[in-house]
Parts: sequence; structure tokens; C-alpha cells
Amino acid sequence: MTTRSLAPLWAGLIPVALTFGILAQTEVPAATTNWRIDPARTHIAFAIDAVGYPRTRGQFRQFAGRISVDFAHPDRSSVSFHVQSRSVDVGSASFDDYLRSNAFLNSEHFPSIDFVSSSVAKVDDHTVRVNGELTLLGVTRPLTVDVAVEREAGGGQRLAFLAKTDIDRLEFGMNTGFPLVSRDVELVISSAAVAL
Amino acid sequence: MSPEARPERWSGWIIALHWAAGAVILGLIALGWVMVHGGLDSAATFDLYQRHKSWGFVALALTAGRLAARFASSSPQAPASARWERRLAASTQGGLYLLTLCAVLSGWLVVSTSPLPVPTRFFDLFVIPNIARPDPSLFAAAELAHRLSAWAIAALVALHVAGALKHHFVDGDDVLRRMLPRRRRA
Repeated sequence: MTTRSLAPLWAGLIPVALTFGILAQTEVPAATTNWRIDPARTHIAFAIDAVGYPRTRGQFRQFAGRISVDFAHPDRSSVSFHVQSRSVDVGSASFDDYLRSNAFLNSEHFPSIDFVSSSVAKVDDHTVRVNGELTLLGVTRPLTVDVAVEREAGGGQRLAFLAKTDIDRLEFGMNTGFPLVSRDVELVISSAAVAL
Repeated sequence: MSPEARPERWSGWIIALHWAAGAVILGLIALGWVMVHGGLDSAATFDLYQRHKSWGFVALALTAGRLAARFASSSPQAPASARWERRLAASTQGGLYLLTLCAVLSGWLVVSTSPLPVPTRFFDLFVIPNIARPDPSLFAAAELAHRLSAWAIAALVALHVAGALKHHFVDGDDVLRRMLPRRRRA
């Protein structure tokens, strides 16, 4: 398992080892296979609403992640993401600067947004429920995310991950603009892994 | 001042400031409308708001410069129009000065009292300080004043332009020409 930072121009890939149990018997040849995450298809995106203002959609461009999935023994699986808050990108340099300020992400004092799983439970053959802790603005709160894992048709040994959840930014002390700016922030994390 | 001592035309500075302020104010109204009703995405909207705020302060500086120039120099003789026309013209022009100041100051108040305090970075050069603290009720009042000022300016500009065109095409006098840049003689 190798962990690397995804710089915007970085063209490399993250090798990820995914250990398979049930799936391995039917679809994947070996119990343990090296996988790599396709950075071009990995996105840590968010969306937030505000009254009288279009929905703001953006993503974080720089992060390091670790994904290990064992479908036979889900409790052995783990996920962690460390996102550089200053890499926020909503499509406007001045808007990005504002989001990095202490009004929202306070990137100078809190450079990293972290998610670390504590347990993983299988929901069905294509879904796992990940319990963990999210640390934002130095505040750590529990977070549960359902992650859909799909084999892509015709893609050989290729997996797609998709996780969607809402977080309450007020729980992390991010109060600026509330209630004009919604307290709920939608997070969408998508990724694709290819067998090496 | 006696009519003989009055200049035939407006001074070059007054002419330049008049047209510059006119362009900036009309541009601000258009920008304001687009950023609120244009259906643009969040990033483009944010950038337009920032630009609108910067140009608002340009309008304030131009208006202050125009008022100073008006007080510092003498104005041409008023045309021989009916008294009500002269009063209407003076009210329109005075109203435009007043409403421009009102629009900029209420806009500054909107920015200052907003529940979402976004720093005003003047063309990304420096931050213009706020003039009040966030206050929802003052914010609502300032927003209403800002919107009404903008619509009133648009209406008065239309009246002002109609008056200028009436002088030029109906009365055939030089009221419009003396506010135009002097043509170089061949």
C-alpha cells in the first residue's frame, strides 16, 4: 500500500492493494491484487447552497488516500483520506481565496481535512458502510458513509467507488454566513481503481 | 456670474468625467442585473460581485470628482427653455448625483452588514474596509435602498438622455454639443 499526494499536475497513480474474499472466488483471480487509483477519475467534490445564490460546486485537487477492501472480512478493510484544504477549487481564483480564509476553511491554521475509518461493514455485494471520523477545522466528529463499489462493464479488472454524504458544517464550527449559506455540505467522493 | 463671463462649453475635465461616470454607472447597473438575474454559475457570479464592488468605488470617485469640478469651474449659460424644463433638468441632474452617492453608499452598507462578509478587494489590489458590522435588518434595508437607487438612476438617465436629445433635435440648440468632446479642426 503506497500513499502519495495527488498534485494537480501529477500524472502518476496510486497503487492500492484490494483484498477480495467472496468476489475473488467468482470474479477476481487472486485474493490479493495490486490496484491503482486513476487520479484523473478521482474526485473529492462538494456542493453547498445559499439563499439567492447559485449552488456552489467545487473539489479539492490535492489529497492522499488509502483504500483497502476485504469483502470476505469487511472489518479488515480500511479507508483514509487526507485532503489539503488549500487545494479547494470552485472555478474562481478569488472565490478560492475567500474559501481558504478563516471565514470557511482557514487553510493557514488547518491545512488538512482528514477522514480515517474505524470500521467497515458490508451492506450488500456492492456496498460497504464505512464508519470513521472526520476532522475539519481541528474538530473531529463521527461520520458514516456508504460506499458503492462497482465493477465496470467491459473494463476488465476495473472498479469504481462512489461515496455520497452530507455533513453539517456547524458541527465543525464553520458558522460563516449561516443561515444565508446552508449548514449542509454535500460531499461526493468518486474514484476508479485498475488492476495492475 | 454674468452671462458674458460664462464659458460656451463645459471644460474638458467635466466632459471627460461626465462620460466616464455615465459609462461606469450604466455598466454597474447592467453588471448588477446580470450577477443577480443572469443565471450564471457560482464562480462567475462571485467574480461579477467582486467586479461590481470595485467599479462601485470607481463610480464614487468619479462622482466626487465631478462634484468638485462643478464647484470649481463655471458652467455654461442655461438654454432659453421654459422654466419648468430648466427645473426638471436641474432636478434630474441633481438627482443623478444624489442617487449615485446613495447607490454606492447603500451598496457599501450592503457589503458591510451582510451576514456573509466577503472582503471587498478593490481590483485585487487592496481591501476596502467595511463601514458597519453584520446586521440582518440593516442589511435588508440597505439592499432595498441599493436596488431602488439603481432603478431610479436608470429612470433618471433615460429622462436625462431624452432631454439632451430633445435639445439637440427639437430645440436645435448646443446643449448636447457643448458636452461632447471638441472636434479637431481640419
